[in-house]
Amino acid sequence: MLIGSLPVAGLDFSTLPQQLTDGLLLGFIYALIALGYTMVYGVLKLINFAHGEVFMFGAYAALFTSWALGYTPNHALGTGTPWMLGVMLLAAMTFCGLLGVLIERLAYRPLRTQPRIASLITAIGISLLLQYGGQIFLPLNQNIDSKINPFGGSLEIALSGSAKVDTVALDAEVKSASEKFDAYLKSSGEDAFNLKTDEGRSLRNAKQDAERKLRDAKSAGEGKTLVISYGKLIAMGTTIVLMIGLTYLVLFTKAGRAMRAVSHDFDAASLMGINVNTIVTFTFALGSCLAGAGAMMVATFYAGTKIDTFFGMVLGVKAFVAAVLGGIGNIPGAVLGGLLMGVTEGLVAWAGSTAYKDAVAFVVLILVLLLRPGGLLGSAKVEKV
Amino acid sequence: MSLLALDEATIKFGGLTAVNAVSFRIQPGELFGLIGPNGAGKTTCFNLITGVYRPTSGCIKFGDRDIQGSPPNLIASLGIARTFQNIRLFKSLSVLENVVVGGYLRHKSSFWSAVNFFPSAIRDTERLRSEAMDLLRVLNLAHVADARSADLSYGMQRRLEIARAMATQPKLLLLDEPAAGMNPQEKEELNGMVQRIRDEFGLTVLLIEHDMRFVMSLCERIVVLDAGREIAQGPPAEIRSNPKVIAAYLGEAV
Amino acid sequence: MNQFWLVRAGSFVLAFAFAFALDAAFGGGGYAQRLVMLAALWVTLAVSLNLINGITGQFSMGHAGFYAVGAYTAAILTTLNPALAEQNKLAWLLLMIPTGALVGAIAGFVVGVPSLRLRGDYLAIVTLGFGEIVRIVAQNINIKTPKGDVGGAYGFTLDVKLTAVWVAWMLAIAVIAICRNLLRTAHGLAFLAVREDEVAALAMGVNVTRTKVTAFVIGSAMAGAAGAILALFEGRASPDMFTMDQSFIVVTMVVLGGTGSITGSVLAALLLFYLPEKTRELSNMPISSVAGLFIGIGVAVSLARMIQQRYHGPVAQRIGLNFGAIGAGVVTMAVIGFVLQQVPAIAAQPLVAGAKLRMVVFAIVLIVLMLLRPQGVLGHHEFSWDWVRRTLFRKPAEVPA
Repeated sequence: MLIGSLPVAGLDFSTLPQQLTDGLLLGFIYALIALGYTMVYGVLKLINFAHGEVFMFGAYAALFTSWALGYTPNHALGTGTPWMLGVMLLAAMTFCGLLGVLIERLAYRPLRTQPRIASLITAIGISLLLQYGGQIFLPLNQNIDSKINPFGGSLEIALSGSAKVDTVALDAEVKSASEKFDAYLKSSGEDAFNLKTDEGRSLRNAKQDAERKLRDAKSAGEGKTLVISYGKLIAMGTTIVLMIGLTYLVLFTKAGRAMRAVSHDFDAASLMGINVNTIVTFTFALGSCLAGAGAMMVATFYAGTKIDTFFGMVLGVKAFVAAVLGGIGNIPGAVLGGLLMGVTEGLVAWAGSTAYKDAVAFVVLILVLLLRPGGLLGSAKVEKV
Repeated sequence: MSLLALDEATIKFGGLTAVNAVSFRIQPGELFGLIGPNGAGKTTCFNLITGVYRPTSGCIKFGDRDIQGSPPNLIASLGIARTFQNIRLFKSLSVLENVVVGGYLRHKSSFWSAVNFFPSAIRDTERLRSEAMDLLRVLNLAHVADARSADLSYGMQRRLEIARAMATQPKLLLLDEPAAGMNPQEKEELNGMVQRIRDEFGLTVLLIEHDMRFVMSLCERIVVLDAGREIAQGPPAEIRSNPKVIAAYLGEAV
Repeated sequence: MNQFWLVRAGSFVLAFAFAFALDAAFGGGGYAQRLVMLAALWVTLAVSLNLINGITGQFSMGHAGFYAVGAYTAAILTTLNPALAEQNKLAWLLLMIPTGALVGAIAGFVVGVPSLRLRGDYLAIVTLGFGEIVRIVAQNINIKTPKGDVGGAYGFTLDVKLTAVWVAWMLAIAVIAICRNLLRTAHGLAFLAVREDEVAALAMGVNVTRTKVTAFVIGSAMAGAAGAILALFEGRASPDMFTMDQSFIVVTMVVLGGTGSITGSVLAALLLFYLPEKTRELSNMPISSVAGLFIGIGVAVSLARMIQQRYHGPVAQRIGLNFGAIGAGVVTMAVIGFVLQQVPAIAAQPLVAGAKLRMVVFAIVLIVLMLLRPQGVLGHHEFSWDWVRRTLFRKPAEVPA
């Protein structure tokens, strides 16, 4: 009775497990990219805005490798093998590592003695250059052929009596509505954002209505079974392995110790005989490698991923927010932030407001920062007077 | 009535008690010294008085008003001005502009008239500029009024900090190691300057200083802190021969 | 006193004359009008963000959010009252500008009060987040009108369209005047003091929180006013007009001009707006030439940096050497372009549309200017002929001993 009087009443709890699982799995990817932001910030106190673009190029590296392996858009090959995925992963990581180092060398190192804002602006510049320059030189709107992935199936866990909803009719409706709208646009030569006639507007509304109906029907049918694709599980496993590797590197190797020293105090570290330039290069290489791995896995295992040059922006910004959420500069913080971000998105998607999904990430970030100005695991610096 | 009174002022940072139940009173017009070895809590005392930190317990009275925990800008407007140990000038502003900011509390024109550049705002700013120029003459900085403050020599920067603090027209002036990094001749000049400021402007001065000769020759009364605690209080001659003080400085020539 | 008002009246007349002259020269519609109109809005945005970022030192990256708030305010009110707007278009525009400014100011206050406690990068991130929140909320605004639901991702299309170039330029001039006036008073020095050192400013009795919030609110109000003009000029307001890129571009204008310098912001805004627009007119070119261009620029910039760092001879010789660097870049461009064109696979690629190069040119200008002049075009200075003279014929020892 009490529940009934709360606004929660409208929510369908049966879809919660699916959304949370998807969110958590995606959270691992966020965490992987967030690590790159956080490590660079740790040593240079620089927000590496180009990190999202390194990620984007990682996806392209994976794409081109898949083409090199024969999976071009018109191939006639069967299912791929695990070693192909391994090659793609390595290619993406290597390429991203090199790209990250190159960016640091050309755009950040010359400005290291200047105010940090200068490097921030070149970071934005590099990011724009890669996005829009890529538009000229790279193929757009590509996807890695799903056949290359030998782990195509899904793990299905029945939660309760399952009932599949038939969306065929609705699919057809959406298709016909958008065809009509497209035909209108073509005939009138108008821009979808700038319609001039009522006819155009009503066609657009019809299309939006049909899409909304389909979305609602789909979400009503979800959740009776928990569906997790094997690919996503493998992505999670790989991420965890990479994170363990990173932890080992940072905590138990000489380079890792030097990295921590540099992030603690840049100048003091250089006075202690640490080659700061080598460590910065190393950090960029490491962070970019992780982004490359994340990119390859998103592009390969997340069905329907379209690779274009703006591909890295949304994911990059979210990963960055995750890094700040956990406390930027703090490695466990980045992982925590990434997972939290994924789960939060899952929750929001479950609550039915996918439209606000991206906004919620920022709202959470702002709330956390206002309560803990240094992020969840970070500590706010107190200025000495 | 005393001008400034600390009563059992205490502040803890985590497990560390930086200032532990320190009490002293400063009479109007006094030249009062605060000394002690490094890490004794002298600058923290300044930060408590000026509102940068809020005392964990205890009471700080300025005149008859409790000021502990008030925001720094309010305390400044009540008439306490300070300089900083690690020089905090407005680096990219000119010397004159630094001092004008010190006079900001005394501006009379509204924000609205400033935005519109009304005659009242122009006159007000002109007045503050000429007052600032007068102060620069007192502190012998008038010839560098248009230089960027970051470009000044160390000793000049210290003097500029004093000028800027004076521009707030305080009743009580807190000087944090004003002679640090100065050569003997500059210290000599500073000594005379502080005395002259006190006499001409009717100020009360509380200063932290490591140079014993400087403090002993300048101050009329001295408080000694060690590890957050107050270990002695009195006129220089008494402090000089106090065994606790000598012990605290571990045989350093006093 | 009388003289003051005389000067004041004179400057008003001059400002109006300038704005109306622009209107008369370019207000006839078409591309030229669009350029002049948008230039005024970018100048307004850059100068208003300079008040927050450059003068008060609060690193905000969400300026497009406030721009959007103003634009949406005007667009929604116009959608709701189409008849009223139609009655007297100019009066409606003049009403929408202060309304947009007011709503922008309120948004600035709501965002500013809690987040200005944060410092540096964290403030930047929170404001960036705010900009995104505004855009996403805008995507979900739907309004029922007699013509059906409007809004959403497609935004609002207005029937009223206003192209008063002079109004936009009067706003830009007003914004510049406000910032300049402020900087010439003790009030303005308090803003600068907050940028330089918050602790010291507090000790001087400056109410740091109030100063920051004031700067933030005024800056947001200015952006809101510009947004209202934009919505009525474009005849629409949609979320895609206010992306993160827009915020980045404004920040870049401020930094490139030299943080704190009003004239710098104006110059950088005009440069960064005009240059990419100009590249729209570039003719289509083969992909080999584009590649050659990129590499040529890289060579020229590397050489220029080397000259900057290693060679400290007289100005004339340095300028000569820099021309040499540019020459080397041009030669590299030609050679690489020619060689690549000989490769059949590359020569077979379709031509690159000039318009596609717009943002690329923007990015390159950004990187090159930052690498060669990290303190911004004007540094902390305001533009003056005296400054030009001093920079070109630098005399040693500016500071008296």
